[in-house]
Amino acid sequence: MMEFSWIIPLFPLLSFVLILFFGKKLKHFSAYLGIGFVGISFVLSIFTLIERFSNPTYKKEFIWIKIGESHLSAGYEVNQLNALMLFIVSLVSFLVHIYSNGYMKGDKRFPIFYGYLGLFTAAMLALVISPNLLQMYVFWELVGLGSFLLIGFYNTKESAKEAAKKAFIMTRIGDTGFLVGILLLYSKVGTFNFNEIFYAVQAGVLSPRALTVVGLLIFIGAMGKSGQFPLHTWLPDAMEGPTPVSALIHAATMVAAGVYLVATMFPLFVASKTILLIVSIIGGLTAIFAASIGLVQKDLKKILAYSTISQLGYMMLALGSAGYVAGVFHLTTHAFFKALLFLAAGSVIHAVHTQNIDEMGGLWRKMKFTAPLFLIGTLALTGIPLLSGFFSKDEILISVWNHGNPFLFIIAIVTAFMTSFYMFRVFFIVFFGDTSENSKRAHESSLWMIIPMFILGILAVVSGYINTSWFGTYLGNWILDGNEYIKGTHESASTWIMSLGVIVSGLGIYLAWEIYVRKNQKLLRFVNPEGTTYRILSNRYYMDEIYGVTVVPMTRFFSIFLSFIEIVFVKGIMKLVVYIFSLFSTIFIKIQNGQAQTYGAIAFLGLAIVIFLLVLTGGYFKWIL
Amino acid sequence: MDTIILNTLIFSPLLGIVLLFLWKTKNEISIKWVGVLSTVPSLVLSIYLFFATKFGEDLSRFSISYRWFRFGRNDIEELEKFFAVNFQLNVDSLAVVMLLLTTIISTMAAFSIFKINKNLKGFVSLFLVLETGMLGVFAAGNMILFFLFFEMTLISTFFLTGKWGYEQREKAAYRFLIYNGVGSALLLFVIMTLQARFGTTDISVLTNNLSNIGLELISPISSELRYVLLGAIILAFGIKLPSFPFHSWVLKMHTQAPTPVVMLHAGILLKIGAYGLIRFGLGMFPNEFKDFAPILAFIGVLNLLFGAFVAFIQTDFRFMIAYSSVSHMGFVLMGLGALNELGLEAVIFTVISHGLISAFMFYLIGILLDRTKTTELVEIGGLSQKAPVFSGFLLFGTMALLGLPGLSGFVSEFTSFLALFESQRLLAAIGTIAGILTAVFALSATLKITYGPIRVPDSNVVIEDLNWLEKIPLTVLTGLIVIMGLLPNLVGSEVQVVIHTLINRIWG
Repeated sequence: MMEFSWIIPLFPLLSFVLILFFGKKLKHFSAYLGIGFVGISFVLSIFTLIERFSNPTYKKEFIWIKIGESHLSAGYEVNQLNALMLFIVSLVSFLVHIYSNGYMKGDKRFPIFYGYLGLFTAAMLALVISPNLLQMYVFWELVGLGSFLLIGFYNTKESAKEAAKKAFIMTRIGDTGFLVGILLLYSKVGTFNFNEIFYAVQAGVLSPRALTVVGLLIFIGAMGKSGQFPLHTWLPDAMEGPTPVSALIHAATMVAAGVYLVATMFPLFVASKTILLIVSIIGGLTAIFAASIGLVQKDLKKILAYSTISQLGYMMLALGSAGYVAGVFHLTTHAFFKALLFLAAGSVIHAVHTQNIDEMGGLWRKMKFTAPLFLIGTLALTGIPLLSGFFSKDEILISVWNHGNPFLFIIAIVTAFMTSFYMFRVFFIVFFGDTSENSKRAHESSLWMIIPMFILGILAVVSGYINTSWFGTYLGNWILDGNEYIKGTHESASTWIMSLGVIVSGLGIYLAWEIYVRKNQKLLRFVNPEGTTYRILSNRYYMDEIYGVTVVPMTRFFSIFLSFIEIVFVKGIMKLVVYIFSLFSTIFIKIQNGQAQTYGAIAFLGLAIVIFLLVLTGGYFKWIL
Repeated sequence: MDTIILNTLIFSPLLGIVLLFLWKTKNEISIKWVGVLSTVPSLVLSIYLFFATKFGEDLSRFSISYRWFRFGRNDIEELEKFFAVNFQLNVDSLAVVMLLLTTIISTMAAFSIFKINKNLKGFVSLFLVLETGMLGVFAAGNMILFFLFFEMTLISTFFLTGKWGYEQREKAAYRFLIYNGVGSALLLFVIMTLQARFGTTDISVLTNNLSNIGLELISPISSELRYVLLGAIILAFGIKLPSFPFHSWVLKMHTQAPTPVVMLHAGILLKIGAYGLIRFGLGMFPNEFKDFAPILAFIGVLNLLFGAFVAFIQTDFRFMIAYSSVSHMGFVLMGLGALNELGLEAVIFTVISHGLISAFMFYLIGILLDRTKTTELVEIGGLSQKAPVFSGFLLFGTMALLGLPGLSGFVSEFTSFLALFESQRLLAAIGTIAGILTAVFALSATLKITYGPIRVPDSNVVIEDLNWLEKIPLTVLTGLIVIMGLLPNLVGSEVQVVIHTLINRIWG
């Protein structure tokens, strides 16, 4: 199957094209079409993954653009990481396709929603089998397009329009860094091919400084896509899109592409200590920063969005601390439990028609399936033992402790505490808070929505067992096998770190319980909406406002300055040209005054000049030409 | 048989004019269809030529040369050839690509003739003259013929704009004439000098004589004169391109000329600048061109950023796209300034890609103007509810414009940057900022027009979606933009030989 893996992204693409042209005729059938095609991709991805277990990496390239002797190539590659990503992406996409059939029911633009989902899935699947940086960049941008289209899906809403624009532009800023990075890299090593780049890196072709610059630029791309500080502000706004989209794109797949990029380029990052440190600092900073904002938000989806940013920061922190396996492992488990959380949140929103958690409450009895599934997701994210998040988070903490800065380890622990607090805050308010008006009319969602959540629920529980220090590190062993550029970074287990992680998480749950269920007056003081800290947090550190008064006016000012130049300088040149022409014309008009004397005098003068010049130059205008 | 191909290719549009004069029809629809169909034979032949190139046929068999006129002293036998000008047409793979682009965009532009409603016969005739002029420019075998066809495009464009344009059409037409007049004068100076010194204007002979560095000593022109001539060529075609700071005429043209003319102007006429820079600048003076290259690269990046920044604050969609057009021409200068094979390939990709995309965008602007009577961004919004197909095409065009991978714009942008990165890293890196800006303004404008609540200038305006006739050119151009984006090598491999020769002349 691996040699035909290029066919996997084609099915969702085909579904996009078919729906684009025949959506109006297909109507509701578009959903089945989309589900069917992605289902095929999913099945093929499973085959590919299974085949990759027992076979070496498969890779094929052909010429894309020929440039003289050399060329730029395109192709596909199935290595361990790619095979794993194929599986994750196609699975989550498949489930989201099914879920949407319930969630988007009755929407006016139902068919094209499936079309866009197909387009996104195709781009994402193609992204993860790219064998070179150029091709990766191509699909990197195309997933951005899919994300943009789906965020702006409710196209009559002003807020959706703004959010879509912001997402595209913010990620584009990151992408430009990425672009310059790969251009610079190409100018140094003359190839986009991953293996050739890693070979050149190992051979020391790049100076340490160049290595750091290239690494940093590529990381900027990853920051944009994965919503790392300070390029994160688009991700919470992206929640304007339909909830299934948030689950697929802004939780499980596209936002993880930044982490995937760093993981893919890991040999390059490892070669520079500076760049690893930068990655871990940005990751740690993002993790705690986003988690702190998540503490006080009121919009259910936005809390999950900040949680996603925070967890992506966690993965970056892991990668920056040389925890290759930890990062990839957390990416995998996070994909499942965060997609689950979003789908469950979607189910809640679908039932209560609001996203404000204060307007929910008392849903535990109303939503018999959604509530426990949301709890499973929450527990997995919080890192409660035996669920998937527990193992992957533990792996990250160990990596950070062993290779990172102690300060970053503290940040990671504090973040873990915050995570459990805000997640259980949401959980308690939404499911055990006072029953609101909206909640009274709530009802459980249809089977189309429950089944995908159920499958993700199972995965959120069991997916951690692919890599545990208790039963075996299957994922770690497999993914590092035969990878000559990444040294074995497997960490031995550490009981105290594991215990510490569990203790802080438990503490967070306890505090949330005291404050939001038992309404402990002493503790409630700390969440006073009038407090300065609270206000800063609920205004998201005023990041949008800061951009609003710095970057945006600066660009405007520069533009106005340039159009001023245009008016003065360019128009000046134009006026000069016009002036010269009219000057000549005035002279010639004066000459042509109708008097024979003038004409005769000028003709004579002209003749005199010509003769003079001919005599002077010996009969040939050599000096002129 | 082969010898009539180029003649037919270039002059067949004129048959349409003959038909219009003989056929005394008053029916507007039939006149419009005559306009469209008259562009078809050239299209078919250029496709044939393209595939002939693709299958490796010798293009020299299409060349033709007739004795045209002589001047000077006919009585002196040996000097006779000195002053003979032949009517020569010949093509290489670069010219074939340009011819194909021209015929495709001409046919697509012809579809927008359906929006013209005054003095139709005159419009269609001039339109066809313009097409012949453009085709002649790319197939001309000597510089005098080149100049003749070049002037043919100027005159027809001048009248087409001045008579059928929007509110400020006359101002636009005169500005066009003055700037291009200066360019033509410079070009004429170069051509006459070369004719006087070499006794020929045959492009391939001149290229051989001028570019052959080994023959420097017996060359009839001094090294200073070479710089002067190259400077004049760069200036003449730089104005045409347009390069900063000679761009203001293009803005007027792009906002005031009628849709078919803007499509041809943005799509093809500006590209004559790029073609001229390659053919006459780099081709004839490779050694001197090397010294100009850093300046060109610098001006290219300046163009790119300047256009993007100024487009950023435009409030009128027409002006925005016009400035972005100026911005994108920076890629041509960047590619030339890079002085490597990839750079020249980037120039050709840019020429094709920008030709397709700008024709596409200006066609849409024409439709927008037809529906809403304005392109002021504050006055329009939410069109996707009334005109989803139009909005979809507009979004596609925007994505192509901002260089989305998978579409032709990306190929042109990426190869330009990649080429320039080899020699001018910092400059190229700074240039990438334009990519962000383009995304900001193009996307904001398009979203403003299509998303959000419905807004039209006044309530009487009825927004209709595209009809089948309007969809034809848009669909064809969409297809071509995608094909060029996915398989750039389709054209890239064709022009390899030409590029290789050009670059070899520089670096030996």
